[in-house]
Amino acid sequence: MKRIGCLLLAVSSLCVLSHAATRPHYGRTLRVALRAAPASLEPVQSLAPVAPELSSLLFDNLVALDSQAHAQPSLALSWHAEIGNRRWQFLLRKGVAFHDGSPLTPDAAASALRAANPSWQVSATDESVLIVSDAPLNTLPEELSLPRNAISRRDSAGKPVGTGPFRVTDFQPGRKLILAANDDYWNARPYLDSIEIELGANSRDQFIALELGKVDAIDLAPEQIRRATSEGRRVVESAPLDLLALVFTRDRRSAEEGRLRDALSYSLDRPSMRSALLQGEGEVAGGILPGWISGYEFLFPSKLDLPRAQQLKGSAKQSTPWTLAYNVNDPLGRLLADRIALNARDSGITIQVSSSSDGDLRLVRLPLVSLDSRLALRGVALAAGAPPPAFSGASLEQLYQAEQVLLDTQRIIPLIHLPRAQGIGPAVRNWRRSQDGAWRFDDVWLATEKP
Amino acid sequence: MSILWSTNELSSNHEHPNVARTPPSALPRPETPLSHISLAHSPNLFGEASLTLTAIYNSLVPSMTQTHAASRRLLRCLLCFAILTPLLAHAADWPETERQLSAKIAATTGPGAVSLEIVNRANFSKTDLETIRRGLTSQLSTLGVQVVKPDQAAATIQVSLSQSLENYVWIAEVRQGTGAPTILMVTSDRLAAPVIAPPHAPALTLSRTLLWSQESRILDVAVVEIMGAPAYLLVLDREGVHISRFDNGHWNAGQVLAIEHQKAWPRDLRGRLVLRKDHLFDAYLPGVTCSSTGGASLTLQCREGDDPWPLTSDQGAFFAPNRNYFTGALVPGIRQENSVAPFYSAVPVPKSNYTLWLFASLDGSLQLFDGMSKQSLTGLGFGSDLAAVRSTCGSGWQVLATSNSDNAPDAVRAFEFPDREPVPVSPTLEFAGPITSLWSDNNSSTAVAVTRNLESGRYEAYRLSVACGQ
Repeated sequence: MKRIGCLLLAVSSLCVLSHAATRPHYGRTLRVALRAAPASLEPVQSLAPVAPELSSLLFDNLVALDSQAHAQPSLALSWHAEIGNRRWQFLLRKGVAFHDGSPLTPDAAASALRAANPSWQVSATDESVLIVSDAPLNTLPEELSLPRNAISRRDSAGKPVGTGPFRVTDFQPGRKLILAANDDYWNARPYLDSIEIELGANSRDQFIALELGKVDAIDLAPEQIRRATSEGRRVVESAPLDLLALVFTRDRRSAEEGRLRDALSYSLDRPSMRSALLQGEGEVAGGILPGWISGYEFLFPSKLDLPRAQQLKGSAKQSTPWTLAYNVNDPLGRLLADRIALNARDSGITIQVSSSSDGDLRLVRLPLVSLDSRLALRGVALAAGAPPPAFSGASLEQLYQAEQVLLDTQRIIPLIHLPRAQGIGPAVRNWRRSQDGAWRFDDVWLATEKP
Repeated sequence: MSILWSTNELSSNHEHPNVARTPPSALPRPETPLSHISLAHSPNLFGEASLTLTAIYNSLVPSMTQTHAASRRLLRCLLCFAILTPLLAHAADWPETERQLSAKIAATTGPGAVSLEIVNRANFSKTDLETIRRGLTSQLSTLGVQVVKPDQAAATIQVSLSQSLENYVWIAEVRQGTGAPTILMVTSDRLAAPVIAPPHAPALTLSRTLLWSQESRILDVAVVEIMGAPAYLLVLDREGVHISRFDNGHWNAGQVLAIEHQKAWPRDLRGRLVLRKDHLFDAYLPGVTCSSTGGASLTLQCREGDDPWPLTSDQGAFFAPNRNYFTGALVPGIRQENSVAPFYSAVPVPKSNYTLWLFASLDGSLQLFDGMSKQSLTGLGFGSDLAAVRSTCGSGWQVLATSNSDNAPDAVRAFEFPDREPVPVSPTLEFAGPITSLWSDNNSSTAVAVTRNLESGRYEAYRLSVACGQ
C-alpha cells in the first residue's frame, strides 16, 4: 500500500510537472505511436477489446465514471431507475451532433445500445432512452460507461461515427489513424488541431521515434519504464491497472487437479518476477482486483510457500505435463513463462512452455475494464473464460466474497498488477490518463519553445 | 456602493477539533508559509533554478494601524471561519467506524478475551493508530469483549486499516482455533481533504486571502461592499453567477443567476466580473455578455455577441469567442494603434505623461506598447496572466505576473517597470496548483487569483494585495 501511495504520489507529481503556468495553446498536431492495431473502429467488436484507450477520443457514452468510480452525466443528463432497477430511463443531452452532422437522438442512442447489448430491451422516447430488463440491472449506469457501450452510428459510407472530441479523417486499418478536432464538440473543442496515431508499432521502433522527436508520445512496456526514466524521458505511469495472470483453459476435473493448481500458485516467486523481469514495476498480486481499488487484496495469499506447494503436490499426481502458452508478441512473455516453469519444477510440477495459442494454461494480461469494482471483476472473469461472478449485494464484503468465489474456481492465478505507461515528448502538456486507462486528449496541448 | 475591502493584512486562522482525528491522507499538506522569500540566485525573474526560502516576519505595515483595523481583523476572522468551517467538516468519522467494526467483531467472538493488533496498510500516523486502537478497545469493552495480551486471549483479531478507490476500508481478521479466519469489513467515506490556511502566518509584502472555494472551476470573484463592509460575494463559473450574502460572519449562499448561452463553452474557459455603478455587475464570457438587472429580485440578461471585454474602465479588447485569448483588437485604440498581436492578458502601467501597456502574448513573450513604440521581452519567466495593482508602495503601481515554470508550483510575483525592464519587487507567492485566472479588481487596489489546488482538487479564489514591506 505504501508503494502504491508512492506511485500515486509520483503520478500526481507528473501531473504537477505537466501543469505549465502558461495558458494552454490551441493548434498543432500530436503524433502518437501505439502497439495496438485495431482492424476497425467499431466500438464493440474492435476498438473496445483492442484499443479501448482510443474510444474516448472518438466516442462518448451516456455516462462517464469519475475518479472514484461514481457515475456522472455525459451524453445523458440524468437518469432514474424504477421497478427494482429493472427499468431505467436516461434523459439525453440536447444539441449534440455526430461527426457526420446528424443529431444525436434517443433513437440513435437506443440503436447503438441495442446493437451492443442484444439481451437488453432498449427503446426511445421523445427525450430519453429506456432500458428494461427482466433481472435487476444494478450497475447499469456504470456499465454504460464502458467503451463497448459507446454511442455510435454508421455514416453514409457505413463507417462508425461518434460524438467525441475528435473525428476520423483517415484510417488505415492496423496501420494509421488520423483524427481532427471536432470544432462543434458539445464539451468544448480540444486544444489540438489533430492527432496522428501510428498503429501496431513495436516497442523498439516507438522508443527510437520518441528519441528522434518523430513522435510526441509512445506506449511503454513495464520493463521499459526504468530505462526511459533513467534516460531522463518524461514518463506518465498509471496505477497498476492490468492483471498479469495464469489462466487455465478449462475447469478443474478433480480435487486432485485442484490441489495441483494450488501447488502451482504457492510455488510462484512473484516478487522475484517483478524485480528481475519487470524491473520493479507493478505490484505483486494475490487478488484479481488491485488493492488500490478493493482495499482488501492483501487478504489473498501471494507469497512463495514452497513447503506448502510441495505438500500439496505430494498429495496429487500430475499425469501429464501442463503446457503453458504465452504471447509471442510480448517481449517478456517467454522470460516470464520460463520463470514460471522453473518455479513450478521446485514443487514437482512439470510445465512445458509453448508459443502456440493452445495450452493447458496461458500467460495473459487481463485489462481492467472499469473502475467500478463489480464490472472490473466481471470483465476479468469473462476475459479469462471463467464464470462471471454473482453479487449478492453492493457491500464490500459481498464484493470480496464474489472475488473469493472466482478465485476458488481455480481458473485464474493472479501474478502481478501492471501499470500502463507512456513516454511523452517535451512539448506535450496536460497529458493525463484517466484511472481506467482511457485517454483524455481533449485537454492535451503542445507548447512552443519558451521565448 | 464601492469596493473598498482592503486585504493588506492576512487573515487569522482557526483550528478545528476534528482535525486532530483526520487521517493523514485526508489532512492538507501544510501550505507554503506566507513569508518573505529571499532569492539566493535567480536565473529568471521568478528564480526558477535556485531559490532559498527564508521566513522573515515583517513588522506591522503602517497602513494597517489605521482606523477600523480591529474591526476588520474580527471581520476577516469571521470570514475565514465561515469559509473554512464547511471544509473542515469533511473529517472522517472514526468513532462510528470503530463502533461498526466492534459490533461485528463482538457478534463473531461473543463476550470474552481477545488480542488486538492494528496493521497500517494506508498512511495513518502513529497518533492515529493509537487513537483508533483506543477507540476499538473501548467499543469492544462496552460489548463485553476485553482486549488482553495474546497469550491470554481466546481469539486473535488483526485489524487492517486500508483504503479502496472510494472508501477507507477497515478489515478485521478474527482467528478462533485453527480454522480459517473470519473476515469482517467496514467502510467509511474518503472525503476531500480539508483546506486549512497556515496558522499564525506573518504579514507579507504580497499577501493573499482566501475568498471562496468550490469544486467547479471559478472564473472570477467579486466582493460587493456596502458602507465599507463586505456584503455580497459574486462567484462566476461556467453555469452562472452565484451570489452569497455576508450575514453573521458567514457567506450564506443565495441566488444563482444562470447564464443562458447556445454554443458550447471553449476549453480553458475564462470569464470576468465587473462591478458597475448603474447596475450591480456585468459578466463577460467568450461570446456572451451578461448584465444584472433589477433591484431586490436580481436577474441576469445575457446576449450572444462579441462585445469587448474591459481591460480597464476606459480600455477594452475583443475576446475570441471560441478560444482562451484576446484577439488583439482594441477598443478604443491605444493612440493610433487599433490592434496588437493576440494576447492572454494585458495591464496598464501609468507613467507621468503616458501609459505603458503590457501584453502577455500567446508565444510567451511580454509585449510592451506605449502608444508609439512596441517592444518584445522574452525569457522573463512570465506566465499568461497579468494584473495591475495600485498601492502606496514604490512607484504606486505593481504588475502581478504568474510564472511560466513547468517544474514548480505556480506562483505570483509583483514587478515594477521603472523603464522598460521589469524589476521584481516582491518575493514569489506560491500556490498549491496552477493559477487559472488572475484579474485586477475594479479600482485595481487588489487582484483576484483563482487556483486549482492539486491536493484537494478544489478551485480556490484568493484576493491578492501588495503591502509595503520593510
